[in-house]
Amino acid sequence: MKINKLNLKWKDSPLRSKLLGYHLTDGWIYRSAVYILLIAIAYVFLYPLLRMISMTFMSTADLINPEIDWVPQNWSLTNLRVAWTVMDMPSTIFNSLWYSGTLALAQTFVSAMTGFAFARYQFKFKNFWFLMVLLSFVIPVPLVLIPRWMMFITVQNMTGLKLIGTIFPQLLMSMVGQGVYSAILILIFFNFFKMIPVSLDEAARIDGATSWQVFYHIILKMSVPTIATVFLFSFVWNYNESYITSTFVRTAMKLMPLQLSLFDSIFERMSANVPGAPGGQFRINESFKMAATLITMAPMMIMYLFVQRQFVEGIEKTGITGE
Amino acid sequence: MKQKKNRPSRQYQKQQNRAGYMFFMPWLIGFLVFTLFPFIYTVYLSFHKVNLNVLGWSTIFNGIDNYVTAFLRNPDFTPALIQFFLTELIYVPTILIISFILAVLMNGKFKFRTVFRIIYFLPVIVISGSVMNQLMSSGNVQIGNVRRIFIYQIIESYSPELADVITFLFNNFALVLWFTGIPIVLFLSGLQKINTQLYEAAQIDGATSWQILWKITMPIIRPIVLVAAVFTVVSLGMFPINPVYGMIQMAIFDTVGGLGVASSYAWIYSMTILLLIAMLYFVLKDHSKDEYVINIRQQQAERQLKQVKRDQRRNKLHGLLAKKAGEKHED
Repeated sequence: MKINKLNLKWKDSPLRSKLLGYHLTDGWIYRSAVYILLIAIAYVFLYPLLRMISMTFMSTADLINPEIDWVPQNWSLTNLRVAWTVMDMPSTIFNSLWYSGTLALAQTFVSAMTGFAFARYQFKFKNFWFLMVLLSFVIPVPLVLIPRWMMFITVQNMTGLKLIGTIFPQLLMSMVGQGVYSAILILIFFNFFKMIPVSLDEAARIDGATSWQVFYHIILKMSVPTIATVFLFSFVWNYNESYITSTFVRTAMKLMPLQLSLFDSIFERMSANVPGAPGGQFRINESFKMAATLITMAPMMIMYLFVQRQFVEGIEKTGITGE
Repeated sequence: MKQKKNRPSRQYQKQQNRAGYMFFMPWLIGFLVFTLFPFIYTVYLSFHKVNLNVLGWSTIFNGIDNYVTAFLRNPDFTPALIQFFLTELIYVPTILIISFILAVLMNGKFKFRTVFRIIYFLPVIVISGSVMNQLMSSGNVQIGNVRRIFIYQIIESYSPELADVITFLFNNFALVLWFTGIPIVLFLSGLQKINTQLYEAAQIDGATSWQILWKITMPIIRPIVLVAAVFTVVSLGMFPINPVYGMIQMAIFDTVGGLGVASSYAWIYSMTILLLIAMLYFVLKDHSKDEYVINIRQQQAERQLKQVKRDQRRNKLHGLLAKKAGEKHED
């Protein structure tokens, strides 16, 4: 009897309802457990980046010192400065930005058109082509890269135009919807356009608008946030893409991720030319590499800080998955 | 009782075709020229010796020689392919499970939700092949040493191969997590589409959170799991975690083997990926509409029905007997 009474008291006590809640998910214990888990995983997510930032500012002495783990003792900007010169910085960054920006513009426009065709028209073999869009995402890039490369070499030899080493091969592929992750961009547009009521189109059509006018004046103007989202994704993916780019551009143009992957060899070549460099000072070490990595990431990270809402919410709202 | 479909007029259909293909044309041309043709041409190339000379590309048929090179002459290719296959097999479920857990945790409303979301999405923005290479080569992705853990030593003593894979998984754990960015968003948007009334109804019926997770959330989210899984397979293939990828690129610019060998590499590699995706599809697709599942369900239902009838009959009999016994007793 006594135990029963105690139980009753415990069950009704405000402490219990605060700790455990009426339902499992609103008690304090559950909540703090969730926070601890989320913070722990976030730490693992950020660990490489934090290490990278900490190493960037370490001097060589700090790097070898086993006592220093995270916070450098002698802060130094030498690493950043060296990496900046090795990567041939201001020009590389501009190259990279306009390169990926142009590709992203082309990709966004074509994806919008294709998404519009799928969302609004009942043309023949539509379902078949839609399946092909999905399949084109699954086909691995190396499989189609070799004939693409051969095609451009052939065209280059036949016409005498310089194609390999310029933006044109990739621009052409983006313009016909075969760029990086194109299928996903098409799907985002498709899902969004389906949500715009058809009655708007019909109203415009009754007033005598053509298909292009409907597409431009109604659909595109209503979906500016989605266009921004798609453009940003395309921009980021093109910026970070190094496989296709390294095949078509090779070393002809200095682009960010390519410079980073060649960083070690460029560094060695440049440091050999420094006459009388004191032994060891210009030997490559992790600090230089991390500084270069930080520089490569920085533009995208800064952009992400300002437009993170477009990234996350944009994709959540329009959804890749839609039924 | 089938409703007759309203057939659109022929002229309407014609107009639809014309406008549809007009908007669709760029993609269609691109697909035919840059994807479908290369897809088939790579198969052709993989059976040929390819050379570039003054007149252009020349191809000489040499049977399965390129495949022999890939599997037997090149000592690196087969191990790399097997390693790639194993990594995918381990990484994909890991990534899916972690991202699903994170999505469920983030589904509710709580303080700093946006902060966590920003952090978990950050890798999607910064991840690239060379960045990953640099981070991995300078040892910044390794958190702790897995070899010190007791369970690991037990596993190692039984099967060193499995232990190797586990070491690889843990040594690159941070980078494995980096692939969860997009799957988390996919799962989150799926979770938010679920009608909350379903949860409430289940709670009223006395279902626990665990039951709700398995009986309501999981079945609804299943198609998204498939999408996320395919996305993960594809995106994992595009990074230096995958040793085959770099090998194919080396082969393209290799003057000895030439493009023929490179295409046979690419073809084998792609078949592996497509095989993986097909496997995922059969594991994760909705089985409830399959014929054999329906048959089994029907049989189960019939059996249950029979059981119920049998029980009813038995109860009736028992009741009658009891009644009779009672009457006798009264007598």
